[in-house]
Amino acid sequence: MQRGRRIGTTFSAFVAFVVGITMTGSLLLGGDPKLFGEQPGSEQLAERLALPATLLLRLVAIVIALSIVIGVVNLLYVHITRLARGKFYSGLLLASFSITIYWSIAMQGDTSLLAAVQVPIESALAGLLFLSLVSGAATVLAKRTDVWGLLFILIVLFVMLASLPLAELALLQNWHEWLMHVPVSAGARAILLGIALGTVVVGTRALLGLDRATRG
Amino acid sequence: MDPTTAQVLALLFLMATVVLIVSARYFQGRADRRNAQRRIEGFAHLKAWSEQAIASNQPLHLAFGSAGIGEDDTAVTVAGAEIFRHIAERVSASDSPPLITTSAATTIPLGQAILAGAWHEGDSLARVQWYPQGTRSLAYAAALSGALPDEQPSAHILAGSFGAELALILDHAQRRGQGSLAVSDQLPGQAVAFAMADEVLIGEELFAAAPTLTDDSQSQSVAIVMDFWRALLLLTLPALVLLQVVQMQPWLQLPLLAVVAALLVVFGALTMRGRS
Repeated sequence: MQRGRRIGTTFSAFVAFVVGITMTGSLLLGGDPKLFGEQPGSEQLAERLALPATLLLRLVAIVIALSIVIGVVNLLYVHITRLARGKFYSGLLLASFSITIYWSIAMQGDTSLLAAVQVPIESALAGLLFLSLVSGAATVLAKRTDVWGLLFILIVLFVMLASLPLAELALLQNWHEWLMHVPVSAGARAILLGIALGTVVVGTRALLGLDRATRG
Repeated sequence: MDPTTAQVLALLFLMATVVLIVSARYFQGRADRRNAQRRIEGFAHLKAWSEQAIASNQPLHLAFGSAGIGEDDTAVTVAGAEIFRHIAERVSASDSPPLITTSAATTIPLGQAILAGAWHEGDSLARVQWYPQGTRSLAYAAALSGALPDEQPSAHILAGSFGAELALILDHAQRRGQGSLAVSDQLPGQAVAFAMADEVLIGEELFAAAPTLTDDSQSQSVAIVMDFWRALLLLTLPALVLLQVVQMQPWLQLPLLAVVAALLVVFGALTMRGRS
């Protein structure tokens, strides 16, 4: 049992390594003949190198499409199980699911169900989201009783004030523009840079078969 | 920058990362060189929440949001899965397996693999729940708010891709006195997480889960490499700004700046050493 599991993890790590290296090499080296200089046959070489990435990306697209089927099966299974335990909302979900499927088959191209049900409900939810956000901002003062919490609240208030279309607040609007373009933009870029670094390192780790998903 | 240069630089960056990970693994693997990892506050409550989940026999709610596999946020999904795998192993003594929710269908098998790895018995199929959101993320948050009262989770660990809709889920958790840890690769979601979650991870902290939560030298090499790149960025960005200033101000001289920069680096290193 233990041995079989070890063979399985070694095999999956090997597959991850081979596919990862092939895909990375193909994406980075393929499709650009300039990388191989002005030599005859460099275009064919670049095309050949790009081929594995094209094939694997097509395969990924097929797998993603198939995962929707897995999702629908999961949705039905979860809610049938919940309905069996007497959960009313799951019954409602299954009924809505059946009606929507019937509607889309019977009235092809008709989006009136979406417009009449989905859009108003989501608009109402957006209103609710606004209230949740306001309540969240209010709880910052209770949760983060440090200078950063205070700064957060001050900036929220400032941005909200500066967003008002009043001529008296023209000075605030100028500051608002600077705030959004300089400190906010810098902070956002810093967070995104951190995420990008993490993505590269985690990707490389998966590529080397060091990730626990592949090495068990 | 033309595409060929960008390709070459990307290749070099990737190769440097591979070399750094392998070297860090080698040095970290040696017991005498093993260093303590920097502490990430966001993970501090995980142990308490896991113990609470076991004691109260209530599940933990783990959410990927819209993070999926095969898209731009694949690495975020993998990093989130690492946190969830660790939590699932910690609470495997409980009778209530965690509830994993997602709005990306590609993460359903991943969630089931996490649960199957920790629970060898029981139905893991119904413990991973998919709430399709399409282009509107509000549907996921609304469906969760409807379904979660039945499950009564003891805490919520939200690691993946979330937008402003995260406020609905965190508001729900707050009203019921349930703990929450949140991180998102989307900036609106990250801002909401900072404001409303009990614990928050920011930026690359999401990817430091494996080294922080385990004592595994292979995982810790990742944190070392990330810290190395981060330090390099911190040094490079001011250096580039200085170079720009030098070009605009002729009275500034590069050798003088280099000496000042070297002195600052030495001073910084001495200060860090004194603190540790």
